[in-house]
Amino acid sequence: MNDVAPFKWVGTRPIRPDGVPKVTGKAQYGADLTMPGMLQGAILRSPHAHARIKSIDTSKAEKLPGVKAVVTSKDFPDHKFEYIGPERVAFNYWHMTRNVMAREKVLYEGHAVAAVAAISKSIADEACSLIKVEYEVLKHAIDVDDAMKPDAPLLFEDMITRGVEPPPTKPSNISKRLEFKLGDIDAGFKQADVVIEKTFKTAAIHQAYIEPHACVVKFEQDGQGEIWSSSQGHFVVRAYTCGLLKLPVGDVRCYPAEIGGGFGGKTVVYLEPVAVALSRKCGLPVKLVMSREDCFKATGPTSGSSMRVKIGATKDGKIVAADGEFKFQAGAFPGSPVMNGCMCAFAPYDIPNARSVGYDVVCNRPKSAAYRAPGSPISAFAVESVLDMVAQKLNMDPLEFRLKNAARAGTQMVYGPKLSHGGYVETLEALMKHPAYKVKLGKNQGRGVASGYWFNGGGESSATIHVHDDGTVQVATGSPDIGGSRASMAMMVAETLGIDYHQVRSIIADTASVGYTHVTGGSRVTFATGIAALDATKKVIKELCKRAAMIWDVDPEGVVWEDGHAKPASTNVGDFKPLSLKEIAAKRAATGGPIGAEGNVNAGAVAPGFSSQFCDVEVDPETGKVTVLRFVAAQDVGKAIHPSYVEGQIQGGVVQGIGWALNEEYIYNKDGRLDNAGFLDYRVPVASDVPMIDAVLVEVPNPSHPYGVKGVGEVNICPPMAAMANAIDRAIGTRLTELPMSPPRVLAALDAGKKKAAE
Amino acid sequence: MTARVVLTSGFSRRYTGGEKEFEIEAKTLGGVIKEMDRRFPGLGHHLEEETTVAIDGEIHDVGYYQPVGPGAEVFFIPKLEGG
Repeated sequence: MNDVAPFKWVGTRPIRPDGVPKVTGKAQYGADLTMPGMLQGAILRSPHAHARIKSIDTSKAEKLPGVKAVVTSKDFPDHKFEYIGPERVAFNYWHMTRNVMAREKVLYEGHAVAAVAAISKSIADEACSLIKVEYEVLKHAIDVDDAMKPDAPLLFEDMITRGVEPPPTKPSNISKRLEFKLGDIDAGFKQADVVIEKTFKTAAIHQAYIEPHACVVKFEQDGQGEIWSSSQGHFVVRAYTCGLLKLPVGDVRCYPAEIGGGFGGKTVVYLEPVAVALSRKCGLPVKLVMSREDCFKATGPTSGSSMRVKIGATKDGKIVAADGEFKFQAGAFPGSPVMNGCMCAFAPYDIPNARSVGYDVVCNRPKSAAYRAPGSPISAFAVESVLDMVAQKLNMDPLEFRLKNAARAGTQMVYGPKLSHGGYVETLEALMKHPAYKVKLGKNQGRGVASGYWFNGGGESSATIHVHDDGTVQVATGSPDIGGSRASMAMMVAETLGIDYHQVRSIIADTASVGYTHVTGGSRVTFATGIAALDATKKVIKELCKRAAMIWDVDPEGVVWEDGHAKPASTNVGDFKPLSLKEIAAKRAATGGPIGAEGNVNAGAVAPGFSSQFCDVEVDPETGKVTVLRFVAAQDVGKAIHPSYVEGQIQGGVVQGIGWALNEEYIYNKDGRLDNAGFLDYRVPVASDVPMIDAVLVEVPNPSHPYGVKGVGEVNICPPMAAMANAIDRAIGTRLTELPMSPPRVLAALDAGKKKAAE
Repeated sequence: MTARVVLTSGFSRRYTGGEKEFEIEAKTLGGVIKEMDRRFPGLGHHLEEETTVAIDGEIHDVGYYQPVGPGAEVFFIPKLEGG
């Protein structure tokens, strides 16, 4: 860790390498690829929230001129019912194949039932309309509390709750119960002078990436195929697609398209296995593209929730006990992020007695998918709201209260180990010092504070470095670039090689051209893929020194690499003029051929992320509209490789949080159908809704990374919802406990307050 | 080189009859897993596949090569996923 030497490139703001093709419209996204003979696909989706499929007749569709292939679940192999892999991320191909293509039942409106490939999209759509599906419509459960009731309609008639001893004798929609516990809860609450307990609800919201899911698939008669798609991880697309269709991994090559946003929602597959099934059936390339309506109805939002949180503190402001119950919608198949929600809920705080209990609950909605720090923002909304109420009751400044209870390196976490790295305290101190924190507010205005925690990720990544004969350098990784990884990889490689950043070209390689690389998610890429790239760079430097030694005819140990040049390690080695990378590269052939190296790592020693934020809002008491006047977000970023991208991550996370807080929600009608499956009715924030987000970069370097990197992409979305609720409460004296805090809901809360005051 | 190995309640309930803490002689995480598997046959596979490990609080993917220092706390926690 070099935290003394000034960096030449790390910490600077060069122009992004992917900017020109994106602003000129030439970047190739998932739907942009066209191939000779390519067919267009369409998917028939369920109109019902919950129904048994009695029969599917595709005969008329198959006879329509121009139709080349029709598939249903019969074209997908079935799978044994078993959970594979770790508990939180366990996947069950029995579930997954039923999500990709419904079998016995449809479990949500928009559930795929059949698919068609035809010579045009209009013919494919027409063919879908000719497929006759006979349904037996069943009662449905949308809300998580409703789905947990003993008499709720069951999505799976044989689902027994896991994590309960002894196991329940009756099936339910509760897939799993889990619990984390620390200390003695009852004894802790007995010590408390102030105890606040509240219930909360949050809405399911979509990741709302701008680019819908899209792919092109080509399978040959020899059984080998290629997939081009927009995803957060083409290696994972390959793994899931091959797993679902029982194909050898080596027979499928996946290419990463440019990606128009993912936020966790593109870490799973929907279209690719269907396109493979269609392409294999007709022997032609097939393109499948979702509409926005498809995205809303059939791809993973994050969970809605129902929660109860109780926190107790002594009169001098020390939290002595915390208890939380978190019930998350999983959607139609098990697997909500409730475990993360439980683990992160109290993580920013040093609380001696704490408990988090979670429930994973299936309901007739699309299967939830990861969304930016999955689970953590949901539980943070409840916990940070109650913390604010406790601080108010104690008449303490909310930042002072948090600082007094802040977790530091060594603090015992409710989920087991002790916290390994600090960083939280520094974010609180940054806000305390911020001049805007002292600005006086006016009538109907309020200031709210909240914090958040996210683990950040490491794991498997690969990178290759190649030195070209003109001295330019290529770095190729397996990480799709969502948050600026092409720039950050090139900057770290240039810094380490000691060359100009503009000499380094950074690309994303396909699954046959670089080693396995896990998804771009979990705030892992700059850290883990960065370590892989630097590992490869160090090998290249060693090779460059070896080549220089050959040119000078000296021992390789006598050569060192400094400031982009090979130099004699001492005068004893000889009096040689330093050789630049370009000069050595020019002698490539004579000194042994291509100069390159690969870095393959499973990067550990991850340092977590903390974010603390405050916002100022104004509430219009006539309309209930909340206007965000100011938003300041301080985040421990380790070391910002490219500060503009890091600021962008913070601003993006906060804006998504503002949308989650104020407007975004899935609105279902009485038939279990989604009434707002489009951006006109599903209200994401636009530029005019938000002020400039003031991103404060707090740099507490991670000692386990050569440049001090910590993940920065996710934790910023954890605090905004509670910060906004806390600000609204301080503006109008009304505590909102249900998201979104939309104008009708704010007005209703104001009216209820007036009514109560009048009584 | 004794390490203190800790499992979550859920994991210990499933695989070790509720026993949560163990003293293990090992220099690496591979050694820890091998010894745990000797004591509870089959447990090693579950530890490798289903957990992330915090060694003195610092989180890693489970890898045989991770050094385990004298007196280290090795906490196996559920594997995590991000967005």
